[in-house]
Amino acid sequence: MSGMFSTRVIALMPVAIAINIVLGAIVQQYLKLPIYLDSIGTILVGVLAGPIPGAITGVLSNLIWQYAPVIGGGTIGPFAITAGVIGLLAGLWGWLGVYRPRPASGTQLLLSALVGAALVILVVLPIINNPAYTNPDIGGYPDWVYTAAIAIAAIAAVVVAAFIYVRRDLAGLWVAGAGIITGIIAAFVSAPIAAIAFGGVTGSGTDLLVAALRQGGADVLSASLGQGLFSDPIDKTITSFVVFIVLAGVSVRVLARFPLGERLTGGRSA
Amino acid sequence: MEDALNEAASRVPDYVLRPVDGTYRRLNPTTKLVIAFSAALVAFGVRGWTGPLVVLAIVVATAAVTRIGRAMRPFVLATIPLIASILLVNTFLYPGAEDVLLRVGPFAATGTGLTEALQASLRVVAFALSVAVFSLTTPTDDLLVDLERRGVGRRGVFVIGSAIRTIPRMVERAGEIVEAQRARGLDTEGSPLRRIRGILPLAGPMILGAVTDVEERTVALEARAFSAPAQRTVIRPIPDSPAQRAVRWSAGLGAAGLVALGIAGILRFP
Repeated sequence: MSGMFSTRVIALMPVAIAINIVLGAIVQQYLKLPIYLDSIGTILVGVLAGPIPGAITGVLSNLIWQYAPVIGGGTIGPFAITAGVIGLLAGLWGWLGVYRPRPASGTQLLLSALVGAALVILVVLPIINNPAYTNPDIGGYPDWVYTAAIAIAAIAAVVVAAFIYVRRDLAGLWVAGAGIITGIIAAFVSAPIAAIAFGGVTGSGTDLLVAALRQGGADVLSASLGQGLFSDPIDKTITSFVVFIVLAGVSVRVLARFPLGERLTGGRSA
Repeated sequence: MEDALNEAASRVPDYVLRPVDGTYRRLNPTTKLVIAFSAALVAFGVRGWTGPLVVLAIVVATAAVTRIGRAMRPFVLATIPLIASILLVNTFLYPGAEDVLLRVGPFAATGTGLTEALQASLRVVAFALSVAVFSLTTPTDDLLVDLERRGVGRRGVFVIGSAIRTIPRMVERAGEIVEAQRARGLDTEGSPLRRIRGILPLAGPMILGAVTDVEERTVALEARAFSAPAQRTVIRPIPDSPAQRAVRWSAGLGAAGLVALGIAGILRFP
């Protein structure tokens, strides 16, 4: 049976769902960082099999994590909508061949590395320049937060540029772009869900950010959106890079059998 | 349809049927699923005190009838961090609230904030308990068998069932990977930057292992005629009744209707 729901895809989906749940639970319980890392499986299925399998993987991951009596996720259920959207987008990127290796060298490579760094800074800048952070009249926001945000942005820009340059692969630029766009869209989808269902907080480390934004004068929806626009692009970009690095290590023979495998392998021979 | 099912169920010996005792547990799993979803919808969708309180009352009554009170405790405990976060952030940092109750340093607890916080907490507790009741009274196998009979299809049922079963195996594998990486010098304690760097050595092998596993699983599934077009015979038919069908439809439509009317502003509860 071929098509987007071939036996191979059906065999992949439960594994991807389990990866989502286990990695998400590990990050939630041990890492205590403002990221989630519970969409690696979703993006993997989206890139390999298409938008609809990806979306279904995302939705099922959230519902199973919420309702199955195993590692009970406290509030993840209503965010199934976001997970579905992430899966759809991943399928789109896979279909567009975003995750295909694109070897390059010389000026083109250098230029792409610089563009990648610029992209990261461009995305972070509007977030940092949010009045909640910079206006001294609103709230007692400590200065170090602004400096820390700039430092994180700088580090991220350097990492992305180095990734592109050292691997001599333009795909890093595309993957970073795909991750950032997915993150921004995910933030916009999640914010109303968090605001309506949970009053804007979700019980994870990101709540400190929500509290800080509210103290700066933002209303419930804006605070959730502000927190989302900080965490989601970072989270989805890291996830996209992880998926890209892993897929680059899988043999062409295995990849080519998936529905979107052809778009992943490009000119690779083995 | 139900007559044939009930008739078939009466001819199957008890040790195959595995009948459960308790009126609520004996209900068709899909009925319990619809009730759980409707409860979640009402708990989140009907704003104000009434929605969550009614759901809470129903859930507590069901728990008392099915004697799962003690087993629900972990579910309740799991919601405590979220509720603490909701109460703190919303009471002290509710945007636009003027009726101050008390001041703690630079923060002011407001009445509006407290009301919102309590309502949000009620919603979370009602939702978590309805999830708990569903998880504790519905064996996964029964639910999947029933869903398959209703047309979810063998592939959907496989994805859900296999995902739930793969989670413990994935947790074990994660533990093994972390141990192996630590034996090779991975630092798992320390600064957040160190911890982020630990993600790839954990996620990488996990996902790579999963993708290569998929090949074996695909072959195993195909060898068991997974994609054969014939419909499977259900050996353990789970009885259903017109009364339960009525309950399902009324609960589902009722919940959706209440939420829709609430959004449209026609029907509001205190």
